[in-house]
Amino acid sequence: MVTDWPARPAGFGVDRRGQRAWVADRDSLLRGLDWPLTIAVLSLSVIGAMLVWSATKQGQLDNNLDPQFYFKRHIINLCLALLLGAATALVSYSALRAYAPIVYAASILGLIAVLSPLGHTINGAHSWIVLPAGFQIQPSEFAKIAIIVLMAMILGEKRDGEDVPRDTDVLLVLALVSLPVLLIMLQPDLGTVMVVVFVVLGVLALSGAPTRWVLGLLAAGVVVAIVAINLGLLNQYQVARFKSYTDPTSLTQTTSYNQHNATVAIGSGGLLGKGLFHGTQTTGQFVPAQHTDFIFSVAGEELGLAGAGTIVLLVGLVLWRGLRIANRASDTFGRLVATGVVCWFAFQSFENIGMTMGIMPVTGLPLPFVSYGGSAMFANMIAIGLLQNVHLKREL
Amino acid sequence: MSDRSRLRLFVLRVLVVSLLLTLVGRLWYLQVLAGDTYAKAASNLSTRDIVTAAARGQIFDDLGRPLARNQTALVVSVDRIALQRQPDHGIAVLKRLSSVVRVPLAQLRHRITPCGPGIAKPCWNGSPYQPIPVTDNADTAMAMKILEQQELFPGVTAEEQAIRQYPLPGKANAAHLLGYLRPVTADDLKKRRSRDIQIRGSDLIGAAGLESSYDRFLRGVAGLHTVSVDAAGAVTGTLSESTPEPGANVVTSLDAGVQHVLEVALANAMKSARKSYDKTRGKNYVADSAAGVVLDARTGHVVAMASLPTYNPNIWVGGISQKEFDGLGSKANGQPILDRATNGEFAPGSTFKLVTTTGTIKEGRADFGSTYNCPGKLMVGNAFKSNFEGESGGHLSLHQTLVQSCDTVFYQFAIDDWYHDEALVRAGKKAIEGVQKMARSFGFGKPTGIDLPTDQNGHIEDRASKMAFWKSFLRKNACAGAKTRPKGSYLQRLDAENCSDGWRFRLGDQANFDIGQGTVLATPLQLAVAYQALVNGGKVVAPRLGKAVIDPSGKLIARITPPVVNDLGVSQSVLDNIMAALYDVTRAKKGTARGAFTGFDFAKVKVGGKTGTADVASKQPTSWFASFGGPVGQAPQYVVVTMITQAGQGGKVAAPAARAVWEGIYGLHGHRPALAGGAPPAALPVFFTDGTVHPPGTRLPPAPKKPKTPKATPTAAALGPNRYGRLW
Repeated sequence: MVTDWPARPAGFGVDRRGQRAWVADRDSLLRGLDWPLTIAVLSLSVIGAMLVWSATKQGQLDNNLDPQFYFKRHIINLCLALLLGAATALVSYSALRAYAPIVYAASILGLIAVLSPLGHTINGAHSWIVLPAGFQIQPSEFAKIAIIVLMAMILGEKRDGEDVPRDTDVLLVLALVSLPVLLIMLQPDLGTVMVVVFVVLGVLALSGAPTRWVLGLLAAGVVVAIVAINLGLLNQYQVARFKSYTDPTSLTQTTSYNQHNATVAIGSGGLLGKGLFHGTQTTGQFVPAQHTDFIFSVAGEELGLAGAGTIVLLVGLVLWRGLRIANRASDTFGRLVATGVVCWFAFQSFENIGMTMGIMPVTGLPLPFVSYGGSAMFANMIAIGLLQNVHLKREL
Repeated sequence: MSDRSRLRLFVLRVLVVSLLLTLVGRLWYLQVLAGDTYAKAASNLSTRDIVTAAARGQIFDDLGRPLARNQTALVVSVDRIALQRQPDHGIAVLKRLSSVVRVPLAQLRHRITPCGPGIAKPCWNGSPYQPIPVTDNADTAMAMKILEQQELFPGVTAEEQAIRQYPLPGKANAAHLLGYLRPVTADDLKKRRSRDIQIRGSDLIGAAGLESSYDRFLRGVAGLHTVSVDAAGAVTGTLSESTPEPGANVVTSLDAGVQHVLEVALANAMKSARKSYDKTRGKNYVADSAAGVVLDARTGHVVAMASLPTYNPNIWVGGISQKEFDGLGSKANGQPILDRATNGEFAPGSTFKLVTTTGTIKEGRADFGSTYNCPGKLMVGNAFKSNFEGESGGHLSLHQTLVQSCDTVFYQFAIDDWYHDEALVRAGKKAIEGVQKMARSFGFGKPTGIDLPTDQNGHIEDRASKMAFWKSFLRKNACAGAKTRPKGSYLQRLDAENCSDGWRFRLGDQANFDIGQGTVLATPLQLAVAYQALVNGGKVVAPRLGKAVIDPSGKLIARITPPVVNDLGVSQSVLDNIMAALYDVTRAKKGTARGAFTGFDFAKVKVGGKTGTADVASKQPTSWFASFGGPVGQAPQYVVVTMITQAGQGGKVAAPAARAVWEGIYGLHGHRPALAGGAPPAALPVFFTDGTVHPPGTRLPPAPKKPKTPKATPTAAALGPNRYGRLW
């Protein structure tokens, strides 16, 4: 006669206890959210919406089109993204791990679809799938999430009380990550590749992998970059972007022209800016892509140091809360997810803002939460949802 | 967490903080330390695009007379930005300007307000950096005032600009053929990416007629001058400049002389019909509209085409007023905007017997060697159908049947045809519907494919189309009516029948079809195309107004010839026999147009044709005449179709109108010939390099004589499909 059931193996099934607690006490769920993080993200989103409006209004008017077209779409995107983020935050913590392989497979399919005839080229990057009704999907944005969750799942699986991932795990992770990276390189979307490399390094480091792996990868990345540039593996425009970076005074190249105009726009903003909707450079539309990748130039010009500085500080707040969540995560999986998200936002924000101010080369990366663009917005909010999810399951 | 991980987390923190500090530092440098430099750079960096419109190509008739050209006009424009910089935002300047150009201040202010949601026309549709024209009929005195006292009129300029003009050579109107220009709309701008033409917010675009269908040739490419301006709006330099490329010219096969003759003939026919009394209705004929087509019988080019009532095409120039615009569409005015020649669908009446005859012969049920009984009336199904005024003709040859237009002979054809088809249907086979098939061969039931933006299908009724109409529309309505109308009333019984049997193609339908009544609808142009096929060896063409596209320097870009779209597959002897019969319609004793052609100079010009009188429900009959002819001893040179609605018999109204056209073309009976020698010129007008245009045959000035090298002219097909998806 059996009197005692064996304990369930850890990590199997759904964490019922946690779920019941959420359902029973909604207040504790709301209180359990990381509020500074939430507020920082919402503030960035509101500022972003205003900037997108300002950046697109005049161009639309000049062409006799609806001046609020982009603003409205941006708000719709934002609302959908918030719903996605909330859903991600509420999924049970252990299910995240279970979904990781599915998310990974889906994003690989998306990236392959882009390279198929379904894909479309916008601004030199073949990164888009165009849907009916004027909507577009950029699968590489979602691939970032897939890579983070998958890495965290594999490297976070500790056996026999080991503290350090085995070499086989590291190799497995590198193999799995190299597939989407390769597909993104084929688009080519160099900016996203750089973000992913930074994320991989960060997550690998925080997983406790031996130092030789971390330094080895760093060295390998540098070597690959040098070889790629010298062997002409990169497209000419990509090389041009980096070269124009090394010689920012030459105005002959378009990318340099962008960057120069963006820098001028920001510089002319001064302490308090020219006021929303009143930027001469913005309304004159001198900075191409000013509602997407170069949105920070609008902030710099129209809101000045006060506004642009606020954006940098809010990004800092997001990163600080993210690191805090990583530090207090209940297990390695949570810590690695949070670390991955922080590395992602840290590098992407720095690269984006840096390029508009002329201290980083030009790549096609949006500023998280601020730039126009549905796919990026969705992916960003899902990432915040992941942070909140890890936070809800933190060590108290 | 292991110590190693903890250490690395710390490193990550330090890294993040240093990245953020770098950004804040750079921001501080840019906006505070170097802020002034950049503010200065920003004010130097503004650029502005100044668009110089390309001169639009001209449209010429066959002799090189301009149907559409550009006239220089003094245009007063206002630079909105300069006005905004005035302390009072330019109110004082506008007040002064209002009194000089004699435009009310409120209207002036409205015109320079950029269009947007809630701001209706006439607002400014272009770029706010572009000078905005406020009047295009300024005189020199106004211009002098503005230019000499610039301190009183900052931001206001007066300069000569090209505006469109339709000079109406030889009083030919041709409003429906020329079309008009309208400002670009937001819709056009949205669509422009998919087109190969470049349009901007301030451009005009061809909206109808030739202006629309040849827009991509006529348009040219606007010049773009990009200048840098400083913070005060002063130009500091030129960044890029492209000169405008003028649009190409279009030479049409239209002849202003013949066009005028046709327009006058139709107007006179309407006038005279209104004076005659309609016994059946007990009032004068209404004669509310008319249309006519003159085709070159040998090529299928359109020599003239008119629709009445019409309007002066110049009313569109410089923006049409709301009142004029409403007038164009008003029913009280007879809707002058409608082009009835290509877009009006009418029952063709007996002119359609050309098709019935050809179709019946092709099916082997009639021939020119047999005779046919022409009783006064004939039992068709369960009702008697009679000839016009019950006339009986005895036994007639097919030739004489056409001359007299005996309906009962055609009813007998319809009966034979219908019973044969019904037998096939009952045996589970497909009905032949030979006359309908022939009608489609002639080009009825689908657009002719003319080089105009729209032309209508018309309608060919057969078993399939009746079924489709019943399924999609009639059944629903009739079945509802059968339920709701008072039981036993006439309409209720009609609805009940249509509800269950409205899909049936009855004997009466075929009978009406064969004499061109009711169940067949055609545009006057379709009828002209059909008669052109008769005299052109059975070749059906898509007619063309365009004859050639000539680049601004006078070089030929492309010749345009009407493409052959179908061959009737009927032997030449049958066509000759039909033509012989129709030649007798105007001359033989019982010919239905004999009265109209009494005294016509048949010694010089031979004209054959077919009259038509089409009944229209609750209206007076439509009067038709479809004719062809040319100098004696030659193959037919023209096809002339005339139609007057609510005007009575074809022989009494439309035929005299056609006669007037024939006499006008050849200059008979003291008329001045509209065309020298009566023939349409084969050669194109001559374009001199100095921009002047001369009639065909003019010799080029001796100076730039080039050796004549017969070069292959690009064919129309080489130009690719136009934006209506058809080939030129």
